[in-house]
Amino acid sequence: MRSKSDYSSGGAAAAGVATSPASDLGSIDPVLLVLKVLPFSFLRPPRTRLRLPSLILPSPMTHTGPCHRRRPASRLPSRRVNGQYIIEGLSSGFMFVLGGIGIIVMDLALDRNRPKSVRVSFASFGIAAVVISYVMSTLFIRIKIPSYLY
Amino acid sequence: MGVKSEEGAKITSSASSAGGILFSMRSLKLKTKQQELLIRVSVLCLVYLLAFSVRLFSVLRYESMIHEFDPYFNYRTTLFLTENGFYEFWNWFDYESWYPLGRIVGGTLYPGLMVTAAFIYWTLRFFRFAAHIREVCVLTAPFFAANTTIVAYFFGKEIWDSGAGLVAAALIAICPGYISRSVAGSYDNEGVAIFALLFTFFLFVKAVNTGSLAWSLASAFGYFYMVSAWGGYVFIINLIPLYVLVLLVTGRYSMRLYVAYNCMYILGMLLAMQIRFVGFQHVQSGEHMAAMGVFFLMQMFYFLGWVKHLLNDAKLFQAFLKISVTLAVGVGALALGVGTASGYISPWTGRFYSLLDPTYAKDHIPIIASVSEHQPTAWSSFMFDFHILLLLFPAGLYFCFKRLTDATIFIVMYGLTSMYFAGVMVRLILVAAPAMCLVGAIAISATVKNLASLVRTKSKSQQTSSGKGTGHAKASLKAALGQSLPFQKNVAMALLFGAFYLLSRYVIHCTWVTSEAYSSPSIVLAARGANGGRVIFDDYREAYFWLRQNTPPDAKVMSWWDYGYQITAMGNRTVIVDNNTWNNTHIATVGRAMSSYEDEAYEIMQSLDVDYVLVVFGGVTGYSSDDINKFLWMVRIGGGVFPVIREPDYLVNGEYRVDKGAAPKMLNCLMYKLCYYRFGEMTTEYGKPPGYDRARGVEIGNKDVKLEHLEEAYTTSNWIVRIYKVKPPSNRR
Repeated sequence: MRSKSDYSSGGAAAAGVATSPASDLGSIDPVLLVLKVLPFSFLRPPRTRLRLPSLILPSPMTHTGPCHRRRPASRLPSRRVNGQYIIEGLSSGFMFVLGGIGIIVMDLALDRNRPKSVRVSFASFGIAAVVISYVMSTLFIRIKIPSYLY
Repeated sequence: MGVKSEEGAKITSSASSAGGILFSMRSLKLKTKQQELLIRVSVLCLVYLLAFSVRLFSVLRYESMIHEFDPYFNYRTTLFLTENGFYEFWNWFDYESWYPLGRIVGGTLYPGLMVTAAFIYWTLRFFRFAAHIREVCVLTAPFFAANTTIVAYFFGKEIWDSGAGLVAAALIAICPGYISRSVAGSYDNEGVAIFALLFTFFLFVKAVNTGSLAWSLASAFGYFYMVSAWGGYVFIINLIPLYVLVLLVTGRYSMRLYVAYNCMYILGMLLAMQIRFVGFQHVQSGEHMAAMGVFFLMQMFYFLGWVKHLLNDAKLFQAFLKISVTLAVGVGALALGVGTASGYISPWTGRFYSLLDPTYAKDHIPIIASVSEHQPTAWSSFMFDFHILLLLFPAGLYFCFKRLTDATIFIVMYGLTSMYFAGVMVRLILVAAPAMCLVGAIAISATVKNLASLVRTKSKSQQTSSGKGTGHAKASLKAALGQSLPFQKNVAMALLFGAFYLLSRYVIHCTWVTSEAYSSPSIVLAARGANGGRVIFDDYREAYFWLRQNTPPDAKVMSWWDYGYQITAMGNRTVIVDNNTWNNTHIATVGRAMSSYEDEAYEIMQSLDVDYVLVVFGGVTGYSSDDINKFLWMVRIGGGVFPVIREPDYLVNGEYRVDKGAAPKMLNCLMYKLCYYRFGEMTTEYGKPPGYDRARGVEIGNKDVKLEHLEEAYTTSNWIVRIYKVKPPSNRR
């Protein structure tokens, strides 16, 4: 998946991962050279509005720092946050899929035509997957929105 | 006599106290079928009441009022409809908005919502309930949400079984993705449209399942209601042909499908043309061509089936098939090509094209790109709006694939397409909500059924292993295969409790999200004070009522297009631009006026006959959705039409600033002056210098603002809305 830095007014996001096919930096990657010619000489890749994460990620606990500023009547109820980092989106998407697969695998464990050991491992994997996925998703949303369920 | 009644009273009291419902049911001798019916009906009634009442948070907290921006236009048109009748409404030309152009309201709106609310109002009036039209408008959306749960029940029953239907009804009653646009007070098209969408889909699937002409006719009328209610009907007219195509490709062509689709398409198309806003789009617009193509494809299938039946010769039929298919495809492609090239078939409009290419709007149509609802969806929006339905969706798809019927194929397609579009645009999470609830309900129903049957099985594994005769290896293998899992019953019980726990967490989440995030009227702002008490900012309505009572009736108000509907509905004054955004040049003119120096802006305002200018400013309260934060969009839209406005002029090193280091054009433009007039003397926060803007978190750069052509008319109590009067020219004062 090609990720491009956003054309935001700030300009440079942190570490650039992939260069666009139009840039002539003389890459030695043969696959890139082939791709430059074959689809991408007449196809224009879309400008995805993906932002690369900064190298220093803020630790989860910095919101509730010790210095409570006095902010009387200022924080109006905030709507949900509409931006996301790439890794954030990928990891939470993975958690959702893991939960779904857990339930599917649990159903496969009920199939009576499989050997018993396979069924036991399916069942335990399924249960573990669902539990992990739900716990992690709740944890993620609590990190992103500190006032969740309070 | 007295003794007998005493004894009777004793017996009945003991009966009621001894066992509750079951005892009395047994004493009433209800069969299992009747018990099941009672449970189903009572669950549905409770779900209906739940769906209605969970949406009433803002009515209870604030008052019964219309929320947001678009609903005010809908309310104003409904008011006009009830006062002047349908004929006047259908032919209404509104001269109070888009001055001096006016707006043909009758031909540019979807009348379904207004007609529905007016119909409910007239029904209540007929039964002598003296309800005000505003109350009817506020409560229309919860009422239709409750109806949607009933439709979801029948749809679930059609797709899977009645258990899944009940679960679907319960899930969709509180699903936050649906609640967000159907809360009480949100008098918008989607409140009615989602009901119409699900209803149309249900009727069509029923028609395909039964092949009856009556159901197909009903689905055509359901489609007509959807077309009259919302522009999202394009989703239906593309999903149903796609579904039919998938059925044809997977070899599920049948007479039922033929009857259902033909009836629905032709009648639905004819009915849809009755809505002036839609007009002839069903035969002229590129977005509707898929339906027509599939229609002709169906005729081809029927024709080929008939020829095959007549010929009775396989080889000849193969040859005929090849020729006819190539001929049909060729003619179809030629017709499409000629239509598109000659311009008769219009290409996809920007709104829908940006769904296929999400980067299109940013480059070409800044108005569409500026709406925050049109941005791609972040994962937290998905989690907020769906919670555990996200985990259940893949599982539900798996169960649907296990039991493939015409109906489950439909729900799979609806789920997948709506999830794609929900990922592209935040606003379309609403369309995905019913699909997610249905698919999730299938997953829950199937899983719980399996678990419950596990709990209820009697252990017979020992008997099967001992019943095998010769062949030890074979017997042991069979025994190993047929045996149940260890601790099967206990694990199943635990999993049932786990499912119950997950569903209860879903309920808690949905209620919390509804209460905290989706029940704010947007026109009344609330915040927590320092002592924990709630502070209400009612500045918008204060300003609009000031306008209504202190300005001449023919005054024209210039503001950014967000507030147009509210100003016309509550302030009852003519506006220059409003939320309909149908004329980009007019909006760009206003944007240019806001971003120019005061002299140039005064010329533009004179050309538009502007008497008052209204701006929204959040610097005193910390309100972040004010006009200074929206200002760059004004610049972009204005600059898109008038190249004199250049966005880099307002930025410093690519950054947007309002403090001392801001660009000089920014510090002297009209919007800046109007927002920060007299703000330099104001102390907003303890320990900060005067002129500290709490929304941007900086001290403003230009504190000494002098206005030459405008004078301040009114500033609301928390400085959120500021109204300025445009002075007459200097030689006329």
